[in-house]
Amino acid sequence: MNIYQPHLMRIDEVVAETSDTQTFKLSFKDPQVAQQFKFLAGQFGEYSVFGEGECTFCIASSPTREGYIECSFKAAGKVTQSLKRLSVGDTIGFRGPYGNNFPLEQMNGHSVVFVAGGIGLAPVRSVIWNVLDLRDQFKNVTIIYGARSVGDLVYKRELAAWAVRHDVKLWTTVDPGGQTADWKGEVGFVPAIVEKAAPVATDAYAVVCGPPVMIKFTLPVLAKLGFAEERIYTTLENRMKCGLGKCGRCNIGPVYVCKDGPVFSAAQIKALPPEY
Amino acid sequence: MNSKSLSLAELAALVRDLNASGTSVVAPVPTRSLCGADYRPITELNQATLNGALPRRSLKELFLPASEVLLRYRLKKNDVELLPVPTTFTPQVILGARPCDAAGVAVLDRVMGWDYRDELWFGRRAATTIVSLACPGFDGVCFCHAVGLNPDASLGSDVLLVPRGADAYWAMPVTDKGEALLARGTFADLVEPAEVTAFRKAAEEKVAKNLASLPSGFHTFMAQSFDHPEFKAIASRCHGCGACAAVCPTCHCFDIVDEPEGMEGGARRRNWDFCATCKFTVHASGHNPRATQNERFRQRVMHKFSIYPQRFDAVLCTGCGRCVRACPAGMDLPEVLGHLYAAQAAGGVS
Ligand SMILES: Cc1cc2nc3c(=O)[nH]c(=O)nc-3n(C[C@H](O)[C@H](O)[C@H](O)COP(=O)(O)OP(=O)(O)OC[C@H]3O[C@@H](n4cnc5c(N)ncnc54)[C@H](O)[C@@H]3O)c2cc1C
Ligand code: SF4
Ligand code: SF4
Ligand code: FES
Repeated sequence: MNIYQPHLMRIDEVVAETSDTQTFKLSFKDPQVAQQFKFLAGQFGEYSVFGEGECTFCIASSPTREGYIECSFKAAGKVTQSLKRLSVGDTIGFRGPYGNNFPLEQMNGHSVVFVAGGIGLAPVRSVIWNVLDLRDQFKNVTIIYGARSVGDLVYKRELAAWAVRHDVKLWTTVDPGGQTADWKGEVGFVPAIVEKAAPVATDAYAVVCGPPVMIKFTLPVLAKLGFAEERIYTTLENRMKCGLGKCGRCNIGPVYVCKDGPVFSAAQIKALPPEY
Repeated sequence: MNSKSLSLAELAALVRDLNASGTSVVAPVPTRSLCGADYRPITELNQATLNGALPRRSLKELFLPASEVLLRYRLKKNDVELLPVPTTFTPQVILGARPCDAAGVAVLDRVMGWDYRDELWFGRRAATTIVSLACPGFDGVCFCHAVGLNPDASLGSDVLLVPRGADAYWAMPVTDKGEALLARGTFADLVEPAEVTAFRKAAEEKVAKNLASLPSGFHTFMAQSFDHPEFKAIASRCHGCGACAAVCPTCHCFDIVDEPEGMEGGARRRNWDFCATCKFTVHASGHNPRATQNERFRQRVMHKFSIYPQRFDAVLCTGCGRCVRACPAGMDLPEVLGHLYAAQAAGGVS
């Protein structure tokens, strides 16, 4: 089998998350592929619009939800803009799942703190639902999510669902100036809200995804709260083409993000040369 | 199988026999400008030059073409049909390959087979028999000896030929494929003659002068030398044109793009790409992890002498010297390596 040959997927549902971000619910057209497909939270794929090309997104749905996958993407360039023009019933290509995954087995039995900014909630959401679908296997679950403005928050329906759950502590925030008159969440940058929420580090893991500046300023806050670097996980998003360790696009020093990542602990990232 | 003796006439007959049986034969053919040669299909041996002219481009493109169709798609209403490309190929024999070029292909097998097997690469590998011709040592910038090869290295070759005067060769089978090729003729056995040994020794001595062998622990030193001033000092000269990578037998970066062919369909292709170019790593946000040319030039050197050795236990450079000859900015890899050797000897990171 040619490793560059994608599977065909049908778009079953389209959700407009924000003005430039959408979520697709996708199912494999080939029933045999649909049956055999397995993935783990944190893995990614190469999605393609035929005639436009491929691009890399994480799988944003949870492996506990079988029979479909979801991806959320921001219209940024050539392929993502043409993906945005597609609708229910259209066909796209998918190669994957690729890369490593969040260490759910290790996290099992512990508390988990999720910190996400903007569309960085997409990879985190896969882990969140994975944890919530196995809720009694984990201790406290805290979710801290921020976006530039209220209009930029993704997965609003799920934020609402998490907000009313008693087994989840949810903090939502928007950057100063991004709030609306009826905004009930926090106002402030994510790192400040993490400091305010002050999740307990004892027996806990943290999953942090978002824009590089958010990650940069959140890590010291988590350190201050007592999270060891080995217990903080994030994803790197170096540009990729093949996703298979062949094309030479994604490496940071000796680390191939597509093969060794995209999930890394803060300790692993600290050891990398600064090319991410 | 014993090593053999092949006359020029026998080699010419072998070329005819292969072509007649549907195996294409590729050999260095002089360019029209008469400067160097290119690996091209031949039907008669006299179209080739086996006198040591260095092909301008390496063997890489016979296994990883500069632009290659990965699949074709046909668009239908709400649907897409995928037309896979074959991963089996017509048999071919490469005659008169540079030993360094054959070695480059073998070095690339490691990344191409890393967990996911690249069937397009290995399909061509399986269909190809490589007959290398020992090199007399080309010029002052080749440094195969420094990277652990030699002008008569057999890595990646199925048969190694060494010239005996102007019209005869000593042929050493290296692999089963090579034996099968030599079994097509009735060639006389020949124990390595003294002139062959002398040729090999002279070539090695010549090339060994160009650059000393990589010092032990060099790749570890490199891994710790990300901020070495050598990169800043020289890399700003690099134009980021990618010519070095295009001619290089081991550079293998590629892009994947769709090219419509009419309204109803098209091809997904992989095209060579070059890590020295400024857009190579730009994120959709505009952020570029390798923002300046220093980092891009460093990546090329690091990939060859630190990253690949760490990940695949092989140097990603055959010392062919093509990047030095091709560079419009005069970047000189053996010279850079020489400076880095000196830095390592002087006690490492500044
Ligand atoms: C592991 C991983 C996971 C990811 N997950 C997600 C996800 O879940 N959701 C998501 O939205 N994104 C995700 N991304 C990012 C996503 O891959 C990119 O946004 C996407 O590939 C952009 O593709 P595109 O074809 O639309 O953009 P491109 O057309 O390739 O261009 C993107 C941008 O690059 C620049 N650019 C491109 N060409 C040029 C040029 N010729 N001149 C100047 N500038 C140029 C521009 O800034 C342009 O806007 C992920 C990336 C990785 C590596
Ligand atoms: S080193 Fe020379 S050939 Fe290579 S990209 Fe720079 S200028 Fe071009
Ligand atoms: S880096 Fe230069 S010398 Fe080394 S194999 Fe490539 S082209 Fe040849
Ligand atoms: S994306 Fe091609 S090597 Fe990682």
